[in-house]
Amino acid sequence: MEQAGWILDEEQWKAWAGSLPASGCRVIAPARGPRGEAAFTKTDDADQIARGYPGKTQMSPKEFLFPRSETLFEFRLAGNTVTLVRPPRSDNKQVLIGLRPCDAAGLRRLDEVFLQDPADEAYEHRRNQTVVIVEACTEATPSCFCTAVGGSPGGTEGADLHVTRLGGSGRILLRAITQTGSELASAASASWARATEADFAEAGDQAEAVSSSIRRQPLPARTPELLEGSFEAPEWEVVASACIGCGICTYACPSCSCFDIADTGGAACGSRCRSWDSCAFGEFTKHASGHNPRPKQSARYRQRLMHKFAYFPSQHAGQLMCVGCGRCIDLCPAGIDIHQAVLALAGAARAAHRGADEGVPV
Amino acid sequence: MSKVAPAGSGYQTAGEWAPRIVAFTCNWCSYSGADMAGTARLTYPANVRIVRMLCSGRMDPLFALKAFEEGADGVLVSGCHPGDCHYVQGNLYARRRLEIFADLMELLGLDPRRLHFAWVSASEGVKWSELIGRVTRSVLEAGPNGEWLSAPTAEFSSAKLPEPGPPPRTAPTRDANAATTSHLRQLARRLLEEGEVSRVIGYAEGAQSDQMVPAFVETPEDAERLVWNERCYANLANYAVHRSGGATALIAKTCDAKSIAGLLRENQLRRDEVVVVGVSCSGIWHGDRLAAKCYGCDEDVSPLADWTVGPDGTARGSIPAAGRDTSPDPRDAALEALSSLPPDERLAFWQGEFDRCIRCYACRAVCPMCYCDTCITDKHRPQWISAPQSGPGNTSWNVVRAMHLAGRCSDCDECARVCPSGIRLDLINRSLAQGIKRKYGTMVSADPAVKTALTTYRPDDAGRFV
Amino acid sequence: MNATAVETLVPILGSITEVREETHDVRTLRLDLADSEEAESFTWRAGQFVMVSVFGAGESALTITNPPAQKGFIEVTFRQMGTVTSALRRLSEGEPVGLRGPYGNSFPVEEWRGRDIAFVGGGIGMAAVHAPLWDVLGNREAYGEITVMAGAKTVADLVYRNEAGRLRDIPGVRVIQVVDPGGEEPGWDGEVGLIPQVFERMGLSGRDTTVVVCGPPVMLGFMLQATTRMGTPPSQVITTLENRMKCGVGYCGHCNVGEFMVCRDGPVVSGEVISQLPNEF
Repeated sequence: MEQAGWILDEEQWKAWAGSLPASGCRVIAPARGPRGEAAFTKTDDADQIARGYPGKTQMSPKEFLFPRSETLFEFRLAGNTVTLVRPPRSDNKQVLIGLRPCDAAGLRRLDEVFLQDPADEAYEHRRNQTVVIVEACTEATPSCFCTAVGGSPGGTEGADLHVTRLGGSGRILLRAITQTGSELASAASASWARATEADFAEAGDQAEAVSSSIRRQPLPARTPELLEGSFEAPEWEVVASACIGCGICTYACPSCSCFDIADTGGAACGSRCRSWDSCAFGEFTKHASGHNPRPKQSARYRQRLMHKFAYFPSQHAGQLMCVGCGRCIDLCPAGIDIHQAVLALAGAARAAHRGADEGVPV
Repeated sequence: MSKVAPAGSGYQTAGEWAPRIVAFTCNWCSYSGADMAGTARLTYPANVRIVRMLCSGRMDPLFALKAFEEGADGVLVSGCHPGDCHYVQGNLYARRRLEIFADLMELLGLDPRRLHFAWVSASEGVKWSELIGRVTRSVLEAGPNGEWLSAPTAEFSSAKLPEPGPPPRTAPTRDANAATTSHLRQLARRLLEEGEVSRVIGYAEGAQSDQMVPAFVETPEDAERLVWNERCYANLANYAVHRSGGATALIAKTCDAKSIAGLLRENQLRRDEVVVVGVSCSGIWHGDRLAAKCYGCDEDVSPLADWTVGPDGTARGSIPAAGRDTSPDPRDAALEALSSLPPDERLAFWQGEFDRCIRCYACRAVCPMCYCDTCITDKHRPQWISAPQSGPGNTSWNVVRAMHLAGRCSDCDECARVCPSGIRLDLINRSLAQGIKRKYGTMVSADPAVKTALTTYRPDDAGRFV
Repeated sequence: MNATAVETLVPILGSITEVREETHDVRTLRLDLADSEEAESFTWRAGQFVMVSVFGAGESALTITNPPAQKGFIEVTFRQMGTVTSALRRLSEGEPVGLRGPYGNSFPVEEWRGRDIAFVGGGIGMAAVHAPLWDVLGNREAYGEITVMAGAKTVADLVYRNEAGRLRDIPGVRVIQVVDPGGEEPGWDGEVGLIPQVFERMGLSGRDTTVVVCGPPVMLGFMLQATTRMGTPPSQVITTLENRMKCGVGYCGHCNVGEFMVCRDGPVVSGEVISQLPNEF
């Protein structure tokens, strides 16, 4: 298939991307957070929108589709009459710009959860308003492992438009991946130069170069099956031994989608809210009776990994629920490395299989 | 200002607003005092809603937070005069706890005119009516508390906080670390071989080059994984709790040993469950800066240490520590800068901080002193801390966390290190600790036998109670 | 999805129209939907559950306990346990609740035709077997012998105790009530013991009986062992799971066990399925 793409210089790029807020879009772009870390933020500033950034943001952009907390409805009781009021929904287009390929892939995983039948209407509404502009990685950080889980620093999964800053030349390759993407670009694209095969090839080489700088080992074939068979493996205790049971990994994760629903306010008026929740918390599975099916932290850690690398893939044609962004590795207070943990578990399972096959006593 | 309104009506401003004040009163004195005022037909403004408690010692800061969250414009706590407590000393504990709470609220920029404390006896009906008049006037001056702790009227720019310490420099790559590491491995191997401990919890190289990760070593051979250097951030005390099957040797920096002392003090750990291996530490480094907590660290290896390991070897017991950087603690400069700001700007600063809280509870999880089976934030009957990860719940969570640690925090600064949102929990903890030191002369002790500041009192403690 | 579709996580409104005390801490509520059109179109199958809202307290997943043939209203039976059930208990007739559902799969009552069926409930577990029991009894002649075994800690804790008489009057229905040792009262003519043991003693044909069982996790484990010894194939031991749930539709992740979302892929499962799932119930 012929690829649609344009070559823009920095002026053209800034003129187009920077004008998105003025055209009525809510634009989310990477900015500097309070400690100098990169953070996705709503902005109207053309410079910031067009600038680009090294590495990745500290938190994933998922909160712009799946907010930290979201009011489902407000309720009011008068006598025995209840009135439910839904929060207003914005019909403004939302443009997420500067997502890394792993970020956009993470949003696709959220889609699998929230757009199943029945779809989550609030999510679906926001999703339909959202255009995703991915910016290919120009470098890999030590925690990056997208290539180990089937992703790529130049990947287009989940992207509507895809940007590659062609190394040092000030030229930007902008590709329309979806119809939505072409439409967003259509106002200006007539004035842009068409990209040539050489440009696509250059972008490909650049992604390849970043890929090869990722030193992390690919996951073994059939990792989901290997993990599935290792539910009782003693290695879980080892990989989870340092886990302190906070929710950082799940909250920073671009694909973790678990949430809690809670009422606030009193019996007369209040609201029902859903908020991010984490399988790392002991309360996550605790029954009202006090019975807890996952009483130990190692069982909770196992759930997170199994969900991402075994349960989800078995229901989604082998697709992992981890996109290899490495944020949980960067932020884990105890230095737990999810990639190493999966390798350890899969490796142990494979060794056990091999041992069984060769008749070696276990 | 306005004069006292007739009984049955509250202060009214030109508009609709009348201050709403929640008074938490002790059943035995102030509640009766209020009753007495009524019986004596003394007039005082009707802006006060009374919540009766059995003792002012029952006053949990959460009650005040909840009152503010639900729209109270002011809070009053009133108990028995010192010496008159029905339960002997409840009010004296309350005096310390609430004093520290009021300090914290002041740090956070709450208008002090909203928070009041008093002693009113059962016979002091007149004092009660005067008190309510005074409190109401004060809250009236402060104005409506429209939103949680009132919306900030000012803006805060983080540029106003000083740099966190001396300018960045290169962390010392100390040859001494290699020697300490080697001695540590030898000791760990020996302790495991001789069966003195079943495991050694220390540090090992992680996948990320600049972070050492907790290591759980159970065989003598495995001791080779252990390392010591200036990137050994984690406080490992947490990991020693709830372990069965033999004692645990715990590698502890001086600050970490204080947490061990805290866990011993509060019966979370038995002395025979843990062998404390103190390391001679010259400070830990985050990137190119010495950790703030290390500036203030002027203590030798903890007296709790059963062993001390340093570059020169291994010794039983505790030996003097390595040299310290004696520059002032950079947190103090930041606190000073904050306290010099007007309250509404301070409020703006903290609201900005708490707004970033994602309620991942890493601060709680990492803190050795946060060990409750069920945290107050997970309790739903009633739900003291509202669940949405924004607004009042975020403020309540951060205030309550700090209050629960007041006087107990061992200053390991782990909460601030792990917070993914970079909330300045270190400043809150530091401020409370400094306030306690100033007022009660005590810091959290490395000696498990010494009580923490808020679990004791002196009859003549100073405080805001009038 | 059309524009007027009810939002998945927003309840429709209903109210309590009847309150029945089952034991000192177990209650049955009849709930009617406020909107008659919604009531008309509200259909369910035995084994499905609803999310019941008490506004201000939250939601609780409760099995519908009346059979689907009773159109127009639903009943739920609950034990006062957590925040929501405590709040639900404070409500009285006429007060509003919210409802979402029905959710989950259901008991394969059609597949049981011609077979003997044993309905076994421990404590509040009786609530979960109530709808399929009465669904089956609504079509009595299609099934073989029916055994109902209701167990509880003490006599006073037996849920639906008053129904025993009505059940015994139906031909071919046997009712056995069991209490834990020490839970009996003077004059108690029921069984004393643990449900799995009493059940195994009863001399039912393991091969011909479908066992529908619900109770605490420990009891379930022993029932699976007992039925295995009796020769009941695991596919004919049916239970309903009750993991913590928040959304009821497979988004929120709370009830996830292995590849299973209890709310979406359950709650009704056979012993065969259980044996393939990780033990996280």
